[in-house]
Amino acid sequence: MWWLNQAVGLVVKILLLPFRAMNPWAGMIFISLLTAILMLFIYKKTSNQSGIKHTKNLIKGYLLEIRLFQNDFAAFLGSLKNLLAVNLRYLAYNLRPLLVMIGPVFLLLAQMNLWFGYQTPAPGETLLLKVRFNQSVEIDRLDLELEAPEGITVDSPPVRIIDENEADWRLKITELTGGQLIIRTGEARYAKDLSLPETKLARLSTLRVNRNLWQQLLYPGEKPLPGESEIKQIELAYPEARLNFLGLKIHWLVAYFVLSIIFGFGLKGWFKVEI
Amino acid sequence: MAEEKEDNGLSRRQFLELILSTSAGLAFFPKTGFLTTKGRRQTARKVLVLGLDGLDPVLTAQLMKDNRLPNFKKLASAGSFLPLGSSIPPQSPVAWANFITGTDPGGHAIFDFVHRDPKNYMPVFSASESLPGKHEIKLGNLILPLSGGKINNLRRGRAFWQILEDYDIPATVFKIPSNYPPVESRQKTFSGMGTPDLKGYYGLFNFYTNEYKTITEEYGGGGRVHDVFVIGNRVESRIPGPNNPFKKGQPETYVDFKVFIDPVHPAAKITYQDQEFILKEKEWSGWKKIKFDFIPGQGVSGICLFYLKEVRPKFKLYVSPINIDPSDPALPLSTPESYSKELAKKFGPFFTKGLPADTAALENEVLDETEFLAQDELVYRESVTILEDQLKNFQSGLLFYYFSNTDQRQHMFYRFLDKNHPAYDEQQAAEFGPVIPRTYEDMDKVLQMCLEKVDGQTAVIVMSDHGFNPFRWGFNLNTWLLQTGYHHLLSGSRPEEVTLFQQTDWSRTKAYGVGLNALYLNLKGREAQGIVPLSERDSLTRQLAEQLEQLVDPRTGEKIILRAYLSREVYHGPYVDLAPDIILGFNRNYRISWNSPLGNFPRELIEDNRQKWSGDHMSSPAVIPGSLISSLPVKLADPALQDVTAGLLSLFGIKIPPEVTGRSIF
Repeated sequence: MWWLNQAVGLVVKILLLPFRAMNPWAGMIFISLLTAILMLFIYKKTSNQSGIKHTKNLIKGYLLEIRLFQNDFAAFLGSLKNLLAVNLRYLAYNLRPLLVMIGPVFLLLAQMNLWFGYQTPAPGETLLLKVRFNQSVEIDRLDLELEAPEGITVDSPPVRIIDENEADWRLKITELTGGQLIIRTGEARYAKDLSLPETKLARLSTLRVNRNLWQQLLYPGEKPLPGESEIKQIELAYPEARLNFLGLKIHWLVAYFVLSIIFGFGLKGWFKVEI
Repeated sequence: MAEEKEDNGLSRRQFLELILSTSAGLAFFPKTGFLTTKGRRQTARKVLVLGLDGLDPVLTAQLMKDNRLPNFKKLASAGSFLPLGSSIPPQSPVAWANFITGTDPGGHAIFDFVHRDPKNYMPVFSASESLPGKHEIKLGNLILPLSGGKINNLRRGRAFWQILEDYDIPATVFKIPSNYPPVESRQKTFSGMGTPDLKGYYGLFNFYTNEYKTITEEYGGGGRVHDVFVIGNRVESRIPGPNNPFKKGQPETYVDFKVFIDPVHPAAKITYQDQEFILKEKEWSGWKKIKFDFIPGQGVSGICLFYLKEVRPKFKLYVSPINIDPSDPALPLSTPESYSKELAKKFGPFFTKGLPADTAALENEVLDETEFLAQDELVYRESVTILEDQLKNFQSGLLFYYFSNTDQRQHMFYRFLDKNHPAYDEQQAAEFGPVIPRTYEDMDKVLQMCLEKVDGQTAVIVMSDHGFNPFRWGFNLNTWLLQTGYHHLLSGSRPEEVTLFQQTDWSRTKAYGVGLNALYLNLKGREAQGIVPLSERDSLTRQLAEQLEQLVDPRTGEKIILRAYLSREVYHGPYVDLAPDIILGFNRNYRISWNSPLGNFPRELIEDNRQKWSGDHMSSPAVIPGSLISSLPVKLADPALQDVTAGLLSLFGIKIPPEVTGRSIF
């Protein structure tokens, strides 16, 4: 899984590289446009285009029938039944491209969350590091230590939350930097990436998770923790980012879906795709 | 080129600005402030007024002499430094209202911090009133208001920035007291003293502890103690919010929070809503947002500070009064409304409660002196940061900027300057004695920043509303009225147990005291159960005034009340009839006691003030004038607050309107 995440991550990184110094909207528009084109291409290749065209014509025809025979209740019901049937057929035609696209889209969304979901805190601000241990670990008996790279100060002792089997630290950013946070639990040593770039668009990994497949799909930013790890996950609580649209703060996922749909419908004629 | 202007309306430029300020305009130019002063008249002269609440001229002169206030000295030597006549009484809301309107309380109707309702003799806040919505629908426990409630500023008279607006002169007025809610204006104004917290109090802190502790929830403020238990290194409690206007009975809203204490280290993690943060012992959190929900989709947001005072052996957590969030104000804070959001966007959350320093927490020993100063230092730093930005954008017209630190620290630390104060402590005085002079030095640094940033065309005025003196002894006015037969209680009453005049026999009572300097007659036709006929008013007030002025403290041989002012003689304007009949002008070191203002009858006539609130300004204005330091020479020998207002208007070439009774100081 890690290799796949790395490969997709590399592609997204290369694509977004030119946009790092720009307003995040630039990267978002580019990715949405690219995705729309890619999806149109996949859709065209994997769907039954003539079947879709024929089904859409039937839908139009049955809609006309409903309009024309609204005084004939039996004919109206018959048209309605046929309309439902062709709608189901239309959905069935969409199933195959959907199944083909769902995997890549999911991988892409997880990667995009790393780029658009969080923002770099400013120097002087603080960040919370949360380390969650496996249930078998007695954290009040652990000898916990945290090492931070230069530019980051470990600003508090560990606060151990016994109920949650979690230990938290507060980190203070003195300068924008990067590196690894090292958590020591006696002999064991675990790392968590920390990245505080000055660029407007940056890849920030909030969570390093264990080898659970679903977790790895959702949080592909870092290599999963080793199998025998005492730690379940390590979280660096970067502040959430929002895209500014005329003063409104928009979640990147909303922007992405709206833009992809706009681009998709805008370009379908140019690509001669029947949707 | 001269700006095109219609005869009686807006100039073309203003009209375009107005259009752009509508939703369409905001959509395309989100950074354009709503109805900003941009584009209005460029004035050749600019005026900067620093309002330093309570800056005492005697102490200022002394520190200037000692070369500790070099910038004050520089300003004074370029222009003038004079005592500034304060209001009668010299309380901040009254005094600043004098300055705002250029008249005395008869013209602006603010006579005291506290007024009384003549219908029931109950104390009411003088500055503003909240009125609920008139129409509502009830659905079981749910109340759906059909019209919004209203908050009224009870100050009357026109503010000087409204007069400047008539002449198209831009003004920014930051946190001037007696302006809540801010009066309608196109000028940039931000409300100051009088602005409540989110609960509608003048500041209600919360204190969570497993130690036995009692706190006074004062009239309009104070604090609440929440008993908590530390179970498994975990504390759970709730932060009370405003009352829910959508529910029957308006129950108090609250937000649950949890504290996770580390088993060994003196640190804890606090979580509520989407907030989670770590605090070490003796550490402040910085501003945290908090949201109180009324019904789904309806709620208000505020900001507060957490202070983890102690983790072990006792758990002690202080949560500041919930300030109105300037980025999403639930109550009106500024004109235009966008000004508050504009500031919040630029600087993040900042204190919005009228008087930000939590004096009640210090008084109740929830915060100690060092902790109180740490909080007030945050107030100071925020004020300086915002001022710096305002100065950068100060292109034209007038900028008024207010600091509360001088007032609040003198109230709480005067006991360390006065060896004869009942609460003087030599050991503490060694540590905290320098606080007040250092605060003056801080103000000198503020002035230095101002002088460095303004150009040669800017007139700089530093002013205060009053001075300060020690509050050693408290006078129980209602006890005196009771002893002298002007006030009567129902038979069988025990005076010291009476509160809010609950046992008063109004059918025999001629006078009563409510507020900090006010004495009212129980006047027939005015008070609900008045007995003093109008024909006797003058003679009775004179008789009372004479007796009060003759009162001598047997312990010191000094007069308690220097002057008892008859409001009908010292006030002018349309609101004189609303004024108390007599205003007490206390002698130096004296003030009204803690219990008398709210209709209580303590046993002693004069009490030692052993509280931390040890400096005050309720004396006769002659005892504690304010300060006036101006870069321009002042032509009046005895300037008063309202004269400064007239002076400001004259600096812009404006003819002094008849309602402004002050004479120009320039």
